[in-house]
Amino acid sequence: MLVIQAGWVPGGDRPGRLALWAEDLSDLAGVIDLDGDAETLTLKLPGTTRGPVPPADLATTRAVKLRSYDVPALLVRDGEALATLTGADDAGDEWLAGPSLRYLGVLAGFAFDLARRGRMLPQLVNEGGVPAARWRPVITGGDAATYRDFAAGMPPVVRATGAGLGRTLRDALNVLVDSAARTLMPERLLRGARPGPKAELSDRWVSALTADDPTLPGARAEDVRKLGAALGDWMRAANDANGPVRVSFRLSEPQPGEDDWGLEFALQSAEDSALYLPATEVWEGGRFPGMPARPDETLLAGLGRAVRLFPLLHTALGDQQPATMTLDTGEAHDFLRQAAPLLQAAGFGVQLPTWAGRKGVGLKLTTRSKSSPQSRAVASSGFGLEEIVSFRIDLVIGESAVTAEELAELARLKVPLVRVRGQWVELDDRQLKAALKAVGRRREGELTAGEVLQQVIDGGEEDLPIVEVDADGMLGDLISGQAAERLTPIGTPPGFQGTLRPYQERGLSWLHFLGRLGLGGILADDMGLGKTAQTLSLLLQERIDHQPQPTLLICPMSLVSNWQKEAARFAPQIRTYIHHGGERRRTDVDQDVDLVITTYGTAVRDLNTLKSGKWERVVCDEAQAIKNSGTRQAQAVRAIPSRTRIALTGTPVENHLAELWSIMDFCNPGLLGPAKRFRKRFQEPIEVRQDELAAEALKRATGPFVLRRLKTDKSIISDLPEKNEMKVWCTLTPEQATLYQAVVEDMMATIESTEGIERRGNVLAAMTKLKQVCNHPVHLLKDASRLPGRSGKLARLEELAAEIVEDGDKALIFTQYAEWGTILQPYLAAHLDRPVLWLHGGLSKAKRDALVEEFQTSDEPMLFLLSLKAAGTGLNLTAANHVVHFDRWWNPAVEDQATDRAFRIGQSRDVQVRKFICTGTLEEKIDAMIERKKALASSVVGTGEGWITDLGTDQLRELFELDLAGVR
Amino acid sequence: MPFDRDGKFYEAGKTIEVDGGLAVRAKRGKIGERWWSRRFVDVLERVCDGGRLARGRAYARKGQVMDFHLTAGKVTARVQGSRPQPYAVEVTIAAFDETQWTSLTEALGSRALYRAALLAGEMPQEIVEVFDEHGLPLFPDNLDIRCNCPDWGVPCKHGSAVLYVLAEAFDDDPFLVLAWRGRDREALLGALRGTPEPVETVDPLAVEETPLEERLADYYSPGLSLGRLRERPSRVTAPPELLLRALDGPPVRVRHIPLVDLLKSAYRELAEPPSTVDGGS
Repeated sequence: MLVIQAGWVPGGDRPGRLALWAEDLSDLAGVIDLDGDAETLTLKLPGTTRGPVPPADLATTRAVKLRSYDVPALLVRDGEALATLTGADDAGDEWLAGPSLRYLGVLAGFAFDLARRGRMLPQLVNEGGVPAARWRPVITGGDAATYRDFAAGMPPVVRATGAGLGRTLRDALNVLVDSAARTLMPERLLRGARPGPKAELSDRWVSALTADDPTLPGARAEDVRKLGAALGDWMRAANDANGPVRVSFRLSEPQPGEDDWGLEFALQSAEDSALYLPATEVWEGGRFPGMPARPDETLLAGLGRAVRLFPLLHTALGDQQPATMTLDTGEAHDFLRQAAPLLQAAGFGVQLPTWAGRKGVGLKLTTRSKSSPQSRAVASSGFGLEEIVSFRIDLVIGESAVTAEELAELARLKVPLVRVRGQWVELDDRQLKAALKAVGRRREGELTAGEVLQQVIDGGEEDLPIVEVDADGMLGDLISGQAAERLTPIGTPPGFQGTLRPYQERGLSWLHFLGRLGLGGILADDMGLGKTAQTLSLLLQERIDHQPQPTLLICPMSLVSNWQKEAARFAPQIRTYIHHGGERRRTDVDQDVDLVITTYGTAVRDLNTLKSGKWERVVCDEAQAIKNSGTRQAQAVRAIPSRTRIALTGTPVENHLAELWSIMDFCNPGLLGPAKRFRKRFQEPIEVRQDELAAEALKRATGPFVLRRLKTDKSIISDLPEKNEMKVWCTLTPEQATLYQAVVEDMMATIESTEGIERRGNVLAAMTKLKQVCNHPVHLLKDASRLPGRSGKLARLEELAAEIVEDGDKALIFTQYAEWGTILQPYLAAHLDRPVLWLHGGLSKAKRDALVEEFQTSDEPMLFLLSLKAAGTGLNLTAANHVVHFDRWWNPAVEDQATDRAFRIGQSRDVQVRKFICTGTLEEKIDAMIERKKALASSVVGTGEGWITDLGTDQLRELFELDLAGVR
Repeated sequence: MPFDRDGKFYEAGKTIEVDGGLAVRAKRGKIGERWWSRRFVDVLERVCDGGRLARGRAYARKGQVMDFHLTAGKVTARVQGSRPQPYAVEVTIAAFDETQWTSLTEALGSRALYRAALLAGEMPQEIVEVFDEHGLPLFPDNLDIRCNCPDWGVPCKHGSAVLYVLAEAFDDDPFLVLAWRGRDREALLGALRGTPEPVETVDPLAVEETPLEERLADYYSPGLSLGRLRERPSRVTAPPELLLRALDGPPVRVRHIPLVDLLKSAYRELAEPPSTVDGGS
């Protein structure tokens, strides 16, 4: 597959250009869909006399030196680099973006971010002797730290033209920010006639800031000098706010009974906010590390700049040594509302009392169940959403309930900051009005449990949110999200092969309880905790005393075999139908089964057929697939009518609010309200302002419907086995299946015509080839063609790996084929944007040690790809909590030895081991043989693969032959 | 009709154009943006007759003032008129002496507001009061403008052209006003700071340059994972026009509109771009 590398060519006194070239140095012009001028570049690349060394071979090639090579490249014009880079992420099938190109893509994202936040100023620059209007970034504060990260992160190849790091980064960012600003700015800043070439320079310059042509030919040198100097001073002033030490303001409450708010000035380190020195101490000559030579000047100059954003500060600067100022309550409110956000955004430090920014007035909802207190078990079994409960609504200010009279008094005082029972609260007019209106409404009475639930989810009005809920009984447990803990656990249902772990029993009870209420839920347990087993046990549980309609399960294609296998293993009496593949029933749904398994893709294609079925529930596995409510598959699964719905996902949904809404809306259509309201009510306050009350309200609104247990939870760990081993069933793609059959035919003919040692060799060769096909067609063909979409195992690994790094975990991935690891490593690294280490026999001891050290000590999630042979002994990789065997050695002892890398002393129990097996292939059959023969001494099967070579031809054929039922 | 110093009428010749002269930016309307520059222009406009004033302004706009040199108490300039030899213009003002400056500096330094503003490169209007309190007004009532041209009127168009150019120079650097009175920027700020001391400047965007030769083993790999680089801390969302509000705008006008006013509304719209272009995650 064509891998594209990218570099930046700083342009001297002209804008720099993006250079693209093929890693194998083939000619790109016309091959890929990227625009640019074909040129030959002289690049400095690591290589030998024979040519540049490919990235994968750098670690193992001797005598590598930095040499200059002529490389055919595409040079992208400065104005188009941004568009090229932002589009490079979703490259097509013809080529893969190398890490250098992806790096520049992330940098382009940063440039966009800067422009969108207005962190740029227009300038007049000289480009090859011609003045030009350009936007330039203003990089201060946190952006400066990001800038330094980009400097540290730049792959050296990006500056293969030989330019320095600082210059390359600065130039690239200049060009990208200029493009981003032009994209975001209106077509024209100034209405009226376009200035001609004779117009005033400032007029022409403003016009050129958004024009296609930024240059201003023919301008008078003196005009250029003056305008350039004025704009340059402006830029310098903007960068002055970029010191390592900043001025900080701390607002403190008045003493009880007083009205004097304190505002303390201080100096604070921009990097480490704990380094803080009040102005009084600055004047006394106090210092902390990293202080400038004249801290008093930094303080004064900073205060001087702050006056512009906080005019009241003017009065304090009359002192010779300003250190604090006093504000009355009205001024304090103005500071909170107006100055503080501006100062903070302008790079000043601002510290406010903890209550600042919270909604002052809210409602407290109290409900009591009418039934006499019974044991919970009885209560839960009888609980329904129609149950009548009594309710009361109280007004709450700060943390205390207030009466209508107190509220009226506060409204009369008309002050925006009040102290209620010793606690300061911000009260704005709109909230007060809403509260006064609420006082007039009915505040006591009876509601159904369902109505209470809906009220809690709605969360009150925007100006008068529900801030506290006190409900008793099952309703209370449901609302507090503790239903799973409080319900009487349902034991392992009869017919389930195996035993549910205690937390799985709680999960089953929860799913069952919600389903009985007609509600949907999101089971978001960490990966490996058995969401499949809990779902299958639910199907058994509900079939104990009646026969419900079938359940429709929708999952990614890579998981179809796995569901089928797991259903057969855990719940053999569940009748399963796979609605997928060429032989599926296209016109109607078989209602005489218990479980219909289909894929997201098939669900879209066969939507009408699936809609015609009568479903007890629809289950979406890997529900991230419907995280975007606008996609066709998300809309399709919503359109299938069903009594209830369940979403299964291992990713922390609560971290991605837009996704949470989409998945919730699948589970309980309409319950959370429209997406727009959700954005306004929860998403924006939480993501933009870190609003705690909104976060609490969201938790109340979604808590009843989300069950997420972490494998690190104490109660979960104690339930987990020593080693959590799972088989992961993967499906061959049609291409793999065709290849597999061809290899079987070919090799069986060869084997039949040979004998003795030669035959043994041929059997082993056949096995190797078949296992290669199971890994990936490219592994067998070695034709360097594209990787995605051609292997069931790889698809599953991509999903797993994404989930693992998303969870912040580390994984070991074993393969017995070094050549496969070499193909896999760059691919995974590019897809995850996380380190993927690769340890194989070709590495020196020192290099191996360095990899192990990095894996063990880095705090970043990452994957460690290891060749089974090279990783045999002496490695301590206890930082991993996932182990994946991508292909099988058929020797449990060797596999266990590898697995044990992660189980050294000090390792906790939350390690999950997954063995990938392709259904219908020799992998599945040998696995079954090993399972059957486990009772026999390991001497039979424990010595590797030799025993297979002694099998007779018929047995071999049976073993190798593809079982087509396993390939869909 | 122009008369020379001997009272004789003379023929006003064609003005010789200057290449690279100090043309003022303001092509129409007022010259001198800032309050301190206006003060000088006001003095000029009070004492000079309208015709000469208009011609002086035209001269200043055309760039007839070739250069000027400012020292304590005195500005000298060369202005190209109709004769080949440029005219020499001298504008004098009383420079304060060392003792006067010492007490002025003390008074300025005693109020943080002035110190903060001056250190930030600004000229707070209130400092006029400090000068007045000391009986040393910063701005004179009258200016002594001399020119070696034949025009008898004072100030002549050459003198007023120089004053206009000077006003605009004051716009760009208010410290020139103080320098004219005898204290240049460095000396004054040094005195305000107490002891003049070089401040070490650490460029927060400075990066460590590693030679490519030392990175051969990981030549193609990011030094920090791209996942890390994507995890940019979320910034407090500020209005996108904040940068414009937080800074003194440049003295640049476009069709009479101050540049900052022109940009503000465009900046405000940045957070919600009209197009659907996405900058990646």
